[in-house]
Amino acid sequence: MRPASKSSDRGITASRPQSLATVLIVLSSALSLAIVRAADPSPPVITGVALTNGQQRVTFSPSPAAQQYKFFRTFDLTQPFLEDTTATISGFDGVAATVGNLGFYRVQAVPMNSSDLLTANVLNRLAYGPTPDELERVRAMGADAYIQEQLAPEGISENLDIDVVNPSGGWQYVTATGNGSSSTLYVYLTRRGEGYIDDLKLVRGPVPEAGTNLLRNGDFELLLTTNDWTISTNHMGSGITTAVKYSGNASLYMTASIGGTTRDSSVWQTISPSLSAAQTYTLSYWFLPGSNTYSSDVTVRLSGEGIVATPGTLATRLLQGRALLSELRAWHVLHAVRSKKQLLETLLQFFDNHFVTQYDKSEVYFDGFYSSTLTPNEEDRAAVNMEFKELQRWRQALLNPQCTFYDLLRISAESPAMIIYLDTVTSAGNGTSVANENYARELLELFTFGVDNGYDQNDIVETSKTWTGWRVRYVDPVNEFHPFAGFAGGATGINTVSNQVGVWAFNYRQDRHNNTAKTIFPGKTVPARFGAPWAGRNYQLSLPARSGTNSVQDGYAVLTHVANQPFTSEYICVKLCRLFIHDNFPNPTTHTDLPEYGYYDYSNLSQLTPEAQLVHACMLAWENGNPKGQIRDVLRVIFNSDLFRSHGGSLQKIKTPFEFTVSAIRALRAAGTNGTFTANTDGAALIAPVSRMGNMNLFDRAEPDGYAEGAGPWVSAGTLAERIRWITAYCAGGGGDAGNSSASPVTLLQLKLPQSSLTDAGAVADYFLGILLPGEGPANLAVYRTLAVNYLNDGAADPAATRTTPFSGLPVSTAAASGYSIRVRGMVALLMGTPRFQEQ
Amino acid sequence: MHNCNCKSHGNVNILTRRNFLDRSFKVGLGVALSTLVDIPLVVKRALAEGNIGVVGPNGRVKKLLFIFLRGANDSLNSVVPMLDPSYMNLSTGQSPIRPVIAIPPDGATNYTTLGAADFPVSGTGPTFGYANAIRLGNGFAALHPSLKFLAPVYNAGDLALIHRVGYPKQSRSHFDSQNYWETGSPNNNTSKDGILYRTMVESGLANAEPLTGVSIQSSLPLILRGSNAAMTNLSDPARYSLFGIPSGNTAAANKVKLALADANNLPTAEKNYRGLLNLQYKNLNDTLATFADLQDEFNETNGISYVDGAVTDNDFAYRLFPTSNALNGGYTRGGGVVDAAKYVVDTGAYGFFRNLRAASVVLNKTNAIVAGTEFGGFDTHSNQGGITGGHANLQRRIGWAIYALRQYFTQYADKASWDDLVVITLSEFGRTTVQNSDLGTDHAEAGVMFVAGGGVKGYGAGNANGVFGCSPSDTVPWISGPADQTGGIDGSMFGVSNRYLKRAYDYRSVLGKLIRDHPGATQNQLNRIIPGYTDTREKLQAGGLSTIDNTQIMGEPNII
Repeated sequence: MRPASKSSDRGITASRPQSLATVLIVLSSALSLAIVRAADPSPPVITGVALTNGQQRVTFSPSPAAQQYKFFRTFDLTQPFLEDTTATISGFDGVAATVGNLGFYRVQAVPMNSSDLLTANVLNRLAYGPTPDELERVRAMGADAYIQEQLAPEGISENLDIDVVNPSGGWQYVTATGNGSSSTLYVYLTRRGEGYIDDLKLVRGPVPEAGTNLLRNGDFELLLTTNDWTISTNHMGSGITTAVKYSGNASLYMTASIGGTTRDSSVWQTISPSLSAAQTYTLSYWFLPGSNTYSSDVTVRLSGEGIVATPGTLATRLLQGRALLSELRAWHVLHAVRSKKQLLETLLQFFDNHFVTQYDKSEVYFDGFYSSTLTPNEEDRAAVNMEFKELQRWRQALLNPQCTFYDLLRISAESPAMIIYLDTVTSAGNGTSVANENYARELLELFTFGVDNGYDQNDIVETSKTWTGWRVRYVDPVNEFHPFAGFAGGATGINTVSNQVGVWAFNYRQDRHNNTAKTIFPGKTVPARFGAPWAGRNYQLSLPARSGTNSVQDGYAVLTHVANQPFTSEYICVKLCRLFIHDNFPNPTTHTDLPEYGYYDYSNLSQLTPEAQLVHACMLAWENGNPKGQIRDVLRVIFNSDLFRSHGGSLQKIKTPFEFTVSAIRALRAAGTNGTFTANTDGAALIAPVSRMGNMNLFDRAEPDGYAEGAGPWVSAGTLAERIRWITAYCAGGGGDAGNSSASPVTLLQLKLPQSSLTDAGAVADYFLGILLPGEGPANLAVYRTLAVNYLNDGAADPAATRTTPFSGLPVSTAAASGYSIRVRGMVALLMGTPRFQEQ
Repeated sequence: MHNCNCKSHGNVNILTRRNFLDRSFKVGLGVALSTLVDIPLVVKRALAEGNIGVVGPNGRVKKLLFIFLRGANDSLNSVVPMLDPSYMNLSTGQSPIRPVIAIPPDGATNYTTLGAADFPVSGTGPTFGYANAIRLGNGFAALHPSLKFLAPVYNAGDLALIHRVGYPKQSRSHFDSQNYWETGSPNNNTSKDGILYRTMVESGLANAEPLTGVSIQSSLPLILRGSNAAMTNLSDPARYSLFGIPSGNTAAANKVKLALADANNLPTAEKNYRGLLNLQYKNLNDTLATFADLQDEFNETNGISYVDGAVTDNDFAYRLFPTSNALNGGYTRGGGVVDAAKYVVDTGAYGFFRNLRAASVVLNKTNAIVAGTEFGGFDTHSNQGGITGGHANLQRRIGWAIYALRQYFTQYADKASWDDLVVITLSEFGRTTVQNSDLGTDHAEAGVMFVAGGGVKGYGAGNANGVFGCSPSDTVPWISGPADQTGGIDGSMFGVSNRYLKRAYDYRSVLGKLIRDHPGATQNQLNRIIPGYTDTREKLQAGGLSTIDNTQIMGEPNII
């Protein structure tokens, strides 16, 4: 660990002979005596000296995380440098009065308090950026206490409203408010099944049931007539029943042979008189699922989707397999924004991205093979459900204090999404069939060893033979983890599975397996560069000829074998170091002719960079655990490292689009009164912006390498334009590019600053600089402060009444059109649009 | 064939502009030129050697358009070795290695006939109604029928089809291999600069001109990335402005824009990505106005229509850039009749053609020297199809793109003309020769490159045919294989027991030839752009035995 406070300095010294010409003498060697440590920032460098009006102006380059810059001066190099307290420093230059004829100057950066820097680092890395409240909390509790808290998410209690699950069974009340996009209302079950609807009402305004019901026979007390409701073919058999009702004497019994999607597959009504697209309406109804809760899901909506009303919270719909991709993404976003278990969320995103699968591939698979039995709606939901289940299994695994990499790897390998994604689902090795290499290759290249690290093409071909027979099947929920189970409900094939509660799961087809004996990594030993305890170990894996259901063991044997090889621990530790520290950890390799071989030559540990030494320390933690490969053991090493705790782990990374948008919501999101927050998103509103900022589509990446940690794909003129567009719309109060994501920076100020400071441009700028860029160092923020203050005093975008009013003269107002609000919102958008807020 | 004047301007253009500086002074300045941001543009251009970015005698600059085919195109089903008995038994019409997915021969066609390529014109029938491999006329190779629109380009002498392109110690990893193609440095993971980035740096114009290298895709590709100069990427040309605010508050957007420009000039402490951020923010600021002026060109709906100057496919004149159903081939026929059989590309191709159109407009209407885009989907491990299916749909995009680019840069030439343009495709590797159990193909080695342009030496234009590396007359050794039952050649360009194609050309020889002889790099510049050129083991220029992996290769193909 580095000392709490240590200054670093170096300078070019200016002397002023009698001729008044300035002579520069480089004295850097004499001034760089401090031992340079891994995490030390570069010191300030004097870049210019000029004499004007009898004053010496010294310009210097900034030093990272500077709390303060100081000038030192001497008139005689045999004498010590003394601090020149008369110098005035503004930004990155200082002016000192000259005394006498000769002066030598040094500039010193006083680093930020190390706990402040660590606080910024942990909130930028363990979390999706600070919130105003979390910044205060972590400062108070200490960054190390925060790390300990985050490393044990099972001990953090929270009850997020997005995790509330509706009680199953019984009548559910559903409402939705929106605009009158059309005058045709559809009611349909999205899958085959049955259910009951009662008291369906559509009223003007935002309050359910307040006013006249605009629907005819919405209480379903009268027999259906074509004058009020039309029943499409797939819903034949639906009708009024008196056996079940919420109120009155009857309800609408819904039954569907296949799910509906639009008017011609629904029970529908044309509303008269017509609705207006400019008018707000509210829909409400009661829904009772049929006896089969999984297969009964209703949608009530207007054509054009101005209003869509489906039963159940996001969590309910996800758990019941009824959610769409947009709902899964919204749920994931909302967890990232709101959860106190921030490290758990960042790790989940990391491993979901590491073991990447693709929603669309699953959907296309179902469409290709099961389109005669699954409706498009069912295909979509099945594909989403597989993504959700992976995520939930990883979440459960990571909540175990001893969670290992093997646990996570196995979840991935068994996931039907992965089996479909990398084509194992149709790969066969029986007879003359040539197994598909796709999964075997990526298992070694991307999920465990890393590219060119301990395997070759022969190993891929041999491994591909083990992954034959791994398929997916729709099975009874109790059989989700039973790979030899039959179809759900005892059916003989997917085409005869009808209206059954089921789940898509890994299923093993022994008759498609390559039963021969296999030798993977034949005669291979761990190369010398690994050093003790690994170098020289033989890691050949011999699998005997196996047949019948026993042959499923081939795949599991490979997983067990590769999960804790040093190649795997090395590659995964490298990726975790990139995630938490910086991106300049090259890919390790066993190819001796590549330069990276020497970079990670642990047989020569003392000669290695701090980065390579850290990877080695992580690998030892992995190796020495019991069981091996515990994720938290590795994280502790990283979080205790010098690299993580200071400059090396500070602002060296670019936020991905997901991190950027989530961190922007969090940055302005403080708890107000009555459960309100000063920034909000509905989650779904981030989907389109995140995609525009570099084609980042959560749960739907086509390439198996996952989204990049490094900046390359995220920084270009086009993607930066998207970031700036989004942040200005978000700060302006939502709508436009930001949709349902909005912030109220003025409300935040009112919560956090005394009334008297609200029109003090400097205080307002300082507050936002402090919460938005906490790791930059106050002395380095001075230039941004000037920019922000000038912005606040500039009324160019104001209404005419305040266009020439200085900030101090503006009445404080949260009203969007007020000069005060326009200036504060614009200034915050400016700060969040700068390069600095793209970093973490 | 258009007259190729590509060699004629070599010595005439720039010496006068350089006279004020001693030529010897320039030696050794090398790659660092673009980083000297303080020297004026004209001086930087004058300091640079070579002709990259220099206006030629016809008033135009030699330009390059690239299309990256991500996922590894199955080259054997693009340019088909029809007379290779390992691929096809012509007497039975069956493929020994690809029983289901091979492209079948036309029983009525003699593929040994020499001459022009066949162009199966459909008239008002289905556009891709011809269901057999198209004879290329080099006595050996054939085209996937979905590539039929390459035939007119080929027959004009404007197309080179280069087969068996790869590099030593081929990586079968998509990601490594794409990186190697883009950096021009195979098996070197520490190389972080793109090959076209280095080409732009050598022009002396990078960082001085706002636009030199441009991509139109979700993010800036590695081929244009580098740490000392900003290339430009537009993720969506229609959204390239800072107006995301719902009310359209112009004053507010302008205020933020101006302040951001100020913010970008502030000194900052050193961090990993600050140089990159500063360059790209500056590039954004410098290019907003240019692209605002091009919005109508980018957008067919509100803007300008680009239409084939001739009757397309014996039907009527099609739109060149199919970006919606209505603009897709003959889909919308006279009288409002729609006909999906008359699409020239699949309906999933519209995003790619929007990007391709924007890349073309950028080259044609701005001073950018290089522009490009990409599309994916080539990783066809399962159910890739044959005559029809997923891979066939991807081929249609390639075929139509090259056809349309030739028409666009011929009919609508402004700052770029077909004669001054070279279009190249890149793809990270080829696929296994043998189909797998999923009726797909896996990762392998050499693949195919499509090179097109008015100056390309194709069929009847400096070369007897436009096929390279897919003919028994190739000088690289043929792999011994089965005897040809029809009395043709014995052996194979790949060999039955080998599941992959060995390279006959190094991709760097193809790119090197083009970069030196088309935009006009000196050999010294090329040695910096493609470091392998200075490695005597590689044999990139003249060909021979590459001693890196003891493989006989052909050196630079004579394509320009």
